[in-house]
Amino acid sequence: MRILLAEDDPMLGDGLQAGLRQQGFQVDWVRDGEAAERELASGVYAAGVLDLGLPRKDGMDVLQALRARGVAMPVLVLTARDAVPDRIRGLDQGADDYVVKPVDLLELGARLRSLVRRAHGQAQESLRCGGVRLDPAARQVSLNGETVTLSTREFDLLHALMRNAGRVLSREQLEEQLYSWGHEVESNTIEVHIHHLRRKLQPDLIQTVRGIGYTVLREPEAA
Amino acid sequence: MSWWRSLRSLQARLMVLVLGLVTLVWLGAAFMTWVDARHELDELLDGHLAQAAALLVVQQATAEGDNELADAPSLHKYAPRVAFQVFHEGRLVMRSANMDTVPMAAATRGFATVRLKDGAEWRVFATQGAERDVQVFVGEQTSSRSAILWAVLRSVLLPLAFALPLLALAGWWAVRRGLAPLRHLSEVLGQRRPEVLAPVVLQDMPTEMQPLVQALNGLLERIGRMLESERRFTADAAHELRTPIAAIRAQAQVALGAGQDDVQRQHALLATLAGCDRATRLVAQLLTLARLEAAPPQDASAVELGDLARSVAAELAPTALARRQILELDAGVPCKVTGNALLLAVLMRNLIDNALRYSPDGAQIRVAVAQESGQAVLRVEDSGPGMSEQEMARLGERFYRAPGQAQPGSGLGWSIVKRIAVVLGAQVQVSRSVRLGGLAVTAQWPRQRSTKS
Repeated sequence: MRILLAEDDPMLGDGLQAGLRQQGFQVDWVRDGEAAERELASGVYAAGVLDLGLPRKDGMDVLQALRARGVAMPVLVLTARDAVPDRIRGLDQGADDYVVKPVDLLELGARLRSLVRRAHGQAQESLRCGGVRLDPAARQVSLNGETVTLSTREFDLLHALMRNAGRVLSREQLEEQLYSWGHEVESNTIEVHIHHLRRKLQPDLIQTVRGIGYTVLREPEAA
Repeated sequence: MSWWRSLRSLQARLMVLVLGLVTLVWLGAAFMTWVDARHELDELLDGHLAQAAALLVVQQATAEGDNELADAPSLHKYAPRVAFQVFHEGRLVMRSANMDTVPMAAATRGFATVRLKDGAEWRVFATQGAERDVQVFVGEQTSSRSAILWAVLRSVLLPLAFALPLLALAGWWAVRRGLAPLRHLSEVLGQRRPEVLAPVVLQDMPTEMQPLVQALNGLLERIGRMLESERRFTADAAHELRTPIAAIRAQAQVALGAGQDDVQRQHALLATLAGCDRATRLVAQLLTLARLEAAPPQDASAVELGDLARSVAAELAPTALARRQILELDAGVPCKVTGNALLLAVLMRNLIDNALRYSPDGAQIRVAVAQESGQAVLRVEDSGPGMSEQEMARLGERFYRAPGQAQPGSGLGWSIVKRIAVVLGAQVQVSRSVRLGGLAVTAQWPRQRSTKS
């Protein structure tokens, strides 16, 4: 899952980035409000972590501008402003979650997963499709109850597809969701990963839509 | 006057003053009445004596030949207090019943006050007929005069005896009523909760109380401002401490979760330590600022700015060397200022440290101590990126940090510098460095008065 982190404090930003990466998030880090607004609006991130006291443009203004432009992606506000009126204002002006520093990194990760899950209309933490079950928190995939070992990229790719079940994602979209800044992507990487996933799981799980991209079909919700 | 001071109540003091003055005035009036009445009484009664004597002289002259001694009857209860004697050619021819044959007075004409055999004091008028053969004495006991005088005085003083308690009662009521606004004020203040600092507003406040209430409101306002700044400071401090603590926590957790990745763990642990140092520095700065605001050290001495700058620069030189920064000191001229050496050192350390911290690696930092137009001047210049006018204006706001800072900092250093400058009576200005192109900070002191010339 690719996350944008907007935090101006070098030491905290470094720690958050490293901590979220340990939990399997792809994290891009910007240090000021203008960059945060630009990147969050790009649409490649599953969620954003936004500090409020940012230079150049205050986090609150960034959030307002994003919501005014119709960007609906989940944004978690991470701030030192702990007064109740601040929290109320933050939530009312478009934050999906409001967390006061300092925060446990595992909790931050869980909150981000929860935000993304809810943004895709899911009630449950794990994703299902046929006999395949994906648990984002544990980063585990099982086929008919048997655990299947996937590489980090394979997991992220499957997660992206299952999260967006019923939608067709292009190769570029998948690449954007999988790789944070500074990673060169080989032209056929996605195809290779898809091939591996089909082999390890069910061959018909991921379907190719020629000329457009790939998709996982949405399951009718099981009772 | 210790008894006066022992009268704690304003009401009691007013009562003592008013009643005392009333009594004094009344007694004065009584005394005046006494003097006046006595004078009038003497005139009147002496006139009567003279008139009676004249009558006797005339009667004796018309009753020639009849030289029988006549004793006049006593007809009134006051008769024993008045008396007369008539002598004709040395022989007593007429007298009142209470008089014997000895002449009442030695003088033959005019008034005299004598003590007679009966022991009483008499006022006597003596006169003679035209041929000096008739000698008349008319007398009157002086005690009757004092009796009249006392009666007059009583009539003046008696009402006072009745009026004084009434006056005291009325005065007590009036004073109490007059002091009602004071009591009201103390009630209003007494009922106040300690955290309420709104100004005191009283309806129909007497002009005498306005300065008091104004002073009180001024005090309340100052206390309010102080509390507000304390409150803001605490809030700001709590807010600013969260970020370093969050960083420490995050880095520690990264180190814990690093697993086999030794490089990542090492990096995170180092960052954790750096975070602790940063939090320590922030706390130290907060304490410095809080102490400066509460009670800045007052003891001042003559301090040689050059020496101080040398020692502070020497302290910070290793930091500069580590970043290949060139730190130079120009302090050729002796330059003494009066102030607290400790505060001066803190001021200098903050200025030089800021210049080092916010200038890039390899930058040039110049510290100069000089005399300029009679003023001691400390100038710290750097070749760093400098600041916009807007940013310069915001310097010194608590926790304000110029945007885009990669260096960790709290934004408190400048608040400390500004506060110390106020305490030391120095002026601090920020401008663009002409020499190095970065920021130039100038602290100026009024010239030290030459000691014992």
